Amino acid sequence: MIDFETELKKFYPSLEMEDVEEALYKQDPTDMVDMVIEFIRGQKTEEKTEVKDKEEK
Amino acid sequence: MICYNCGAELGPNDFCTRCGADVSLYKNIIGAANLAYNQGLEKAHVRDLAGAVSSLKLCLKIDKTNIDARNLLGLVYFELGECGLALKEWITSQNIRPTKNIANDYINLLNKNRGELDKYNQAEKKFNQALGYCHQGESLDYAEIALKSAINQNPRYVQALQLLALVCIKLEKWEDARRYLQRCQKIDVGNTTTLRYVGEIRNILDMDEDSVLQSRGLGFNKSKKSDIDVTDVKKESTDLYAGSVVRRETKTSSIVINVAIGILIGIAVSYMLILPARISAAREGVDESLKAAAEQLDAKTAQIGSLEQDIKTSQNQIEKLQSELDSYTGEDGRMAAIDSLLSAVNSYIENPEDMQAVAGYLDRIDESMMDEGSESFNAVYKLLMSMVGADVSSGYYDSGMKAYQEELYEEAIADLTKAYSYDNSNGDALYNLGNAYRKSGDTVNALDAYEKVIAQFPDTEMATRSQQHINELNVD
Repeated sequence: MIDFETELKKFYPSLEMEDVEEALYKQDPTDMVDMVIEFIRGQKTEEKTEVKDKEEK
Repeated sequence: MICYNCGAELGPNDFCTRCGADVSLYKNIIGAANLAYNQGLEKAHVRDLAGAVSSLKLCLKIDKTNIDARNLLGLVYFELGECGLALKEWITSQNIRPTKNIANDYINLLNKNRGELDKYNQAEKKFNQALGYCHQGESLDYAEIALKSAINQNPRYVQALQLLALVCIKLEKWEDARRYLQRCQKIDVGNTTTLRYVGEIRNILDMDEDSVLQSRGLGFNKSKKSDIDVTDVKKESTDLYAGSVVRRETKTSSIVINVAIGILIGIAVSYMLILPARISAAREGVDESLKAAAEQLDAKTAQIGSLEQDIKTSQNQIEKLQSELDSYTGEDGRMAAIDSLLSAVNSYIENPEDMQAVAGYLDRIDESMMDEGSESFNAVYKLLMSMVGADVSSGYYDSGMKAYQEELYEEAIADLTKAYSYDNSNGDALYNLGNAYRKSGDTVNALDAYEKVIAQFPDTEMATRSQQHINELNVD
C-alpha cells in the first residue's frame, strides 16, 4: 500500500532558471579522478619526504 | 586519454611515456566512468530515462570532464521536463570545453525559444508550489490544480505527472491517476516510482472489477495463458502495459457496443418520431407552395385574358382608324374627292368651254361624299354643278343617245345615268335611261326609271309613254 507521506518525501523541488547560477557555484566539482590524483600525489610527496629523511640520517 | 600529470597522450602502458607517472589506477577509473556512460546511453536509447540519469551521474562522479556524459545528462533532464537541471549541466559542459561542444547549440536553442523556456520555468514554479501544498497536508485540491496547470504548460514533466498521480491516489481518483501514470510511462519507461504506483492502482482496480464482474456473472478468466500475462507488469521489460491490456480491451469493447446500441436507438427514435413530423411539415410546405403557384397562375391567366381583350379592342380601334384614314386617303376618300373637286374648279376656270375635262374630274367624285363632306365642299360642288351641270348633262345625253341608237345599251346606260345625275331636270335622259334598261333586259331598273319619270314629270308625253312601258313590262 502506498503511503502518501512516505512517497512525498521522495519528491524534490525542481531547479528553476533563476536558481541555476547559484546551483552552479555551489556544486562540488571534485570527482573520483581528482581524489585518486590527490591520493597519488600525496603518496609521492610522502615518498619524497622519506627519501629526504633517509639522506639526512 | 591524456595523462593527469603532464597532459601527454597515454599509450597502452600503465605509465606515462613522457613523465613516467603511474596511470594504471587512473586508467581503471576512467574506464569505469566510460562504462557508466555507455550504460547511461543504452538506457537513454530504450527510454529508461531514470536509469540513464543514475548511470550518467555515476559517470560524472567518477570523471567530471566526460563532456559526452554531461551533455547527454542535460538532454535526459530536458526530456524529463527538468529544464533548470538541463541548463546547469550544459553550462558546466560549456565551461569545461568552450568550443566544439554541442552544449553551445543546446543553450543557443533555448535562448532562441524564450517563450517556451518561460513556459517550462512556470511549470517548475507551479510544481514547487504544489509540492508546498502537499506538504501542508490539507491543500491537496490546490495542489491538484497547480499540478494540472504545470503539466498543461509542460506535458512531458514526469515528476509533476507522478506527483499528480500520487495526489489522485490519495483522493481515490484511480482512473485519473492511471491516466497520468500512463503518460509517465510513455516518456520514461523504467521509472520505478511510476511502476510502483501502477501496480498499486492495478491491485485496487482488480479488486473492484472482479467484484463487479462476478456480480454480473462475467468472471474474468485469469487462468488463461496468453501472450499478454497479468504478472508481466512486475518484470523490468518494455511490455509493461500487458497487465492492464486485457481489462482495457474488455472495457473498450463494451463501450463500443454500448455506443453502437445508443446510435441504433437514436436512429430508431428519429425514424419513428421525428421523421413523420418532418415529412408532414415538408408536405405542408409543398402544398402551400402549390397553392401559391396556383394563385399566381390564376392571376396571370386573368391578366392574360385582360390583355387579350385590350389587344382586341386595340385592333378594332386600329381597324376603325385605318378605315377612317382610308376614307381620307384612299382613292374614294375625302382627300381624293376634294382634290377632284379642286381640279374640276381649276379646269373650269382655265377653260370654261372644255366641259369634257370638267366632267372628267367631277366623275371621280363619289356621290356618297356629299353626305360625308364638309359644308364648304358641298357648297363648292353645288355651285360648280349649277354652273356646268346642264352643259355636262347635255354632253352625256348626246353620247348616251348615240350609244342607244347604236344599241350599245351598257354604254348608253352609263352616259344617260351621268346625264341625269348632272341635271335632274333632264327628263329625256331619265326616260331614255329607262328605255336603255328595258332594251338591255334589266326590267327592274327600267320600271324604276319609268316610275321616276312619272313622279317627276307628270302630265307629259314622257310620263304617258313611261306608263305604257310599265304596263307592258308588268304583263310580261
